[in-house]
Amino acid sequence: MNFTLQLVFAGVCVGSTYALIAMGLSLTFWTTRTMNFGQGSLLMAGAVAATTLITAKLPPALAVVAGTLLTAVLMIVVERIAIRPLIKSGESMGWVVSTLGFGLFLQGFVAKVFGSQAIVFPSLMFGAQDFVKILGIQVSAQYLAVLALSVALMVAMELFLRRSRWGRAVRAVSHDAEVAALAGIPVRRIVVLSFAASGLLAGLAGIMVSQITGTVEPQFGFHLIILGFVAAVFGGMGSIVGALIGGIALGIAEKLAGGFISTAFGDVTAFAILMVILAIRPQGLFGQREVVKV
Amino acid sequence: MEQRFDRIGSALGALALGIAISLGAATAAAQQTIKIGMTTALTGPYNEYGEGARHGVELAIERWNAKGGINGKKIELAMLLDDQLVPDRAVQNMRRLLDNKELVGIIGPAGTGPSLAVVDMAQVDGRPFMNPIAQAPVIVYPDGGKPRPNVFSFALQNDVEMKKQAQYAVSKGFKKIGVLVESTAAGKSAADIITAQLKADGKPAPEVEMYNQKAQDMTAQVARLQRAEVDVVLYTGLGADLAVVKRTMARLNWPVQLVANNASLSPPYQEGAGDLVLGTQGAMIAALGQDPLNPAAKEFADAYKAKYGADRWWGPDADRPQLSMSLTVANAYDAASVLFEGMRIANSNDPKAIAKAIESIKDFRGVNASYTFTAERHNAITEKDLSLFEYKKVGDKIKLLINPN
Repeated sequence: MNFTLQLVFAGVCVGSTYALIAMGLSLTFWTTRTMNFGQGSLLMAGAVAATTLITAKLPPALAVVAGTLLTAVLMIVVERIAIRPLIKSGESMGWVVSTLGFGLFLQGFVAKVFGSQAIVFPSLMFGAQDFVKILGIQVSAQYLAVLALSVALMVAMELFLRRSRWGRAVRAVSHDAEVAALAGIPVRRIVVLSFAASGLLAGLAGIMVSQITGTVEPQFGFHLIILGFVAAVFGGMGSIVGALIGGIALGIAEKLAGGFISTAFGDVTAFAILMVILAIRPQGLFGQREVVKV
Repeated sequence: MEQRFDRIGSALGALALGIAISLGAATAAAQQTIKIGMTTALTGPYNEYGEGARHGVELAIERWNAKGGINGKKIELAMLLDDQLVPDRAVQNMRRLLDNKELVGIIGPAGTGPSLAVVDMAQVDGRPFMNPIAQAPVIVYPDGGKPRPNVFSFALQNDVEMKKQAQYAVSKGFKKIGVLVESTAAGKSAADIITAQLKADGKPAPEVEMYNQKAQDMTAQVARLQRAEVDVVLYTGLGADLAVVKRTMARLNWPVQLVANNASLSPPYQEGAGDLVLGTQGAMIAALGQDPLNPAAKEFADAYKAKYGADRWWGPDADRPQLSMSLTVANAYDAASVLFEGMRIANSNDPKAIAKAIESIKDFRGVNASYTFTAERHNAITEKDLSLFEYKKVGDKIKLLINPN
């Protein structure tokens, strides 16, 4: 029983990192029906920036803020150069390639400037040995911090979207950008802000994961973005609640499969879930089926 | 008109003479240097090994040329190609190296994957192929018996290392042994060798778990080993991944003995795991852990520091090179040195003559070991060149020290 609980708790915590990434992907999908396939590199960039600033004796809190602001700015750049020109031509999917290209460029840039080896990332809030006991199981405090952050962000985003004017404006743009523009909503600003928020989430996710692994390197984030994408699809693209539930469910499924079947099986769980959900419920658990008039 | 033709003819004749003289000079110069080639990971996530190997080879060339070269001829690293430890790229590079008939010898890639991809090409070609780092025994011994005639290895082969790990675990009386390896050819090979050694010692098969390189979480793997109640974990993989393992073990409050492979006891492990490294053990090439250093190691260390300074490969202690330099730089230095020694003994560029000459080498004092080769043995490092090391606290610093037990 302890073994199962250990895996479930690990899955919940690991899944919350997938959820952070999935929320970021959902934000941009919501406003522009696009995703940044170079998001993994943004995770890495935020972590590298933060650890570089901490090494330069900046207080950790400021370094984290600076790192996330950097990724927010980078995401605005991504929208401007890798997405906006491509979506102008209607049904073009070229943004998939251009965002991936941006991610590879960022990876190469960091490798050139900082080297290809792993860079140490310090523990910010808790150490690897800090834990909380839940039902007799030792649960890492670092992982619980990520879970708490994911839940807090989900609640904050849901409140923002449902209770604030800007939130209603975002939902209007998501529903129909042209009509929203006609109604006087600043669509361009909404889109840019959604990308900035997505970048903020990516930077945060990168920083939180890096302090768990202890290091960050240029290739960091590539595998995580795939899992974050699966979590977003599983939970329902565009749904914040879906991103959280999808991420956690994916994390639990991955750990249980790895624990009870085979650790090799844990890696394919995400893709198995992706295939099943696309086959039986393509809109995801909490997504809404899109109806297109022809 | 005739005068004009005369002037043109003279000019053309002078030009032709000049070209002939230049070509002759170039050819003469070319014949005065002995050219070798190399493919390694100069860039990419594994360039710690490739760039280190390059340092080792270039330093060896410099040292030999300072003493007059090989039988009066200078040595030149004529082709240095980057494969980023990617097998496909290593194959393309190897093709280019082998197409250059001026190369007398080749230094191989910095890992098992690309080395396995190119070693058959090297064997067919016949020129000496020196493996500095790749640990899989099949690189040298394809069938487990006779070695490839022209392939020589300076890596700590993982059959030597894994047998040492398994024997150490048995000698310490550990009842249940766990094995945690990366899912690459090197990792799988390590798990198979440990399992075979334990079987040969009459011990039960170990619990084996695998992980993918650069996995950010290894809870499932570590939890399975914990559930199996193993009392020692034998690890094979990279240092950064070992740091993830150690942190996971700390999170799960599982302070079981960890015995790691030599490649992982490196700066990425120390940097990633911090104080958690204390107590981690591993078998390493002993040379750079000895105090004082053997004469060849001292000469190498002094020369390296003079040329490159106390850089990443040297390590944080300005006075002593770190242990992992045996695997990143010194191995390639020794590989090049033995190749040059073979060329010197053969006094010929003939590949078979050089290979025979290398096989005749006895007690050649290198940095990592004293080398003896035969027609049956083409791997340089043996068990006697290893010691057990352990991370210990000395004052306020954590050091990797020889474990007398």
